[in-house]
Amino acid sequence: MTVIAGAVPIVSLPAFPFEPQYVWSIIDVSLYVSGLAIVFSTAVSLPVALLLGFTEFRGKQFLQAIINTGMGFPSVVVGLLVLFAVSNQGPLGGLDLVFTREAMIMSQFVLATPAITAISLAAVSGVEENVRDAAHVLGGTRVDVALVTIKEARYGIATAILAGFGRAISEVGSVLIVGGNIASADGVSKTRTLTTAIQLEARQGRYETAMVLGGILLVIVLLINAVVVRLGEGGVMQ
Amino acid sequence: MMELDGVTHTYDTAPVVEDLSLSVESGEVVAIIGPSGVGKTTLLRILALFIEPQTGTIRFGDTDVWGCSDGERLALRRRIGMVFQEASLFDATVGRNVEYGLKVRRSWRDRLSDGLSEVLRSNGTPETVEEALGVVGLGEQLDQHAKSLSGGEAQRVSFARALAYDPDVLLLDEPTSDLDPRNTAVIEEAVAEARNRGIGVVIATHDMHQAERVADRVAVLLDREITEVGPTDTVFESPADERTAKFIDGELVY
Repeated sequence: MTVIAGAVPIVSLPAFPFEPQYVWSIIDVSLYVSGLAIVFSTAVSLPVALLLGFTEFRGKQFLQAIINTGMGFPSVVVGLLVLFAVSNQGPLGGLDLVFTREAMIMSQFVLATPAITAISLAAVSGVEENVRDAAHVLGGTRVDVALVTIKEARYGIATAILAGFGRAISEVGSVLIVGGNIASADGVSKTRTLTTAIQLEARQGRYETAMVLGGILLVIVLLINAVVVRLGEGGVMQ
Repeated sequence: MMELDGVTHTYDTAPVVEDLSLSVESGEVVAIIGPSGVGKTTLLRILALFIEPQTGTIRFGDTDVWGCSDGERLALRRRIGMVFQEASLFDATVGRNVEYGLKVRRSWRDRLSDGLSEVLRSNGTPETVEEALGVVGLGEQLDQHAKSLSGGEAQRVSFARALAYDPDVLLLDEPTSDLDPRNTAVIEEAVAEARNRGIGVVIATHDMHQAERVADRVAVLLDREITEVGPTDTVFESPADERTAKFIDGELVY
């Protein structure tokens, strides 16, 4: 990586908006952390949604209540719990994850999973029983029926994933606690995301930088929502 | 070919069907007639190996279908086709819908390579798909999206979907109850074609005229049990059971 910051005195922070590297590295960290968190969340949420949608078992309603509660879980509390888990005294203390992107991924995973599960569950529950029965009588195995269900609910599931991504990339509390909002002296973000950077820049009185970063975050979130709306229309039209 | 013997099925505590015995042979059409809510759908779902009845046996050829392994039962299940009262098509093109039964019968390895060929757009539509659609007069609609079809066309695609993988037994659950006369006629012709191909067809219907038109034998389902089963002419012209006679004469009103 080119270090332009050689000319920048270590004591003063890079003076964005004239330092693109600082901004790019922050966007990079934000997308990396939220993107991976969503990949893991989806891998967990989809099977859970399918299981909840199509099987009856004791405690199902309780599990659904937990998932719904999880959607409104305060991110700072999640951050605190993850920080405890990865701290020296915590169960994952040996992995040395305090103030790392991995810990941020963990906390965003916890925050996004209930949202993705709940919205996916609504989508797969909306697939008509007749259609699932058709896949079964046409010779499909349980896996085939699950695949048909996912395919039928694809717009709703895509909406769930994007909504989860939106929640992850725009939250500030947990990533601030577990990531520490760290940028190195040369102006490259290590665990600084768009949200934590905005918070810092605003607090330091650099409102222009904060506004530019806020604009970028807003564009990303708007783009995601535009895709969600388009997918919704696609689902209705087809 | 397929035979139910002494089958009883209960939901919660109330029996839905009781002590049913019925068989269907290759190249034969058996109609199950009876008023709505009498258990026709449950009977078909038992035949489709969808639900396991509490008592009684179901034989497919020489195999007791609930006494064999899951793998064997899947193989048997794949020799049965079923059409529901509603078309229940997938959110895909007509061709994809009709192809589905063939697709799930292929190995995962073949299915993955099929997926790749689809991306490369190098594979054509299987012949049996076009052929099955031809039977219901929709050979040209291969690339049309299922959601853009009329109700009658959708049900015809649903029929072709079950016919495409050449089943030994075809189960039809009130397939024409929501259809206009023209689409009904197409489905009835397709039933005749299935019989000509040696498929054993079981059709549940509340339309006695339809049963007379398409069936070789009729089973009358009243009050959860089969009151009479026999050749179509015999059942309609000289029913042996009193309740059957009343039902056919329209005196037994539900």
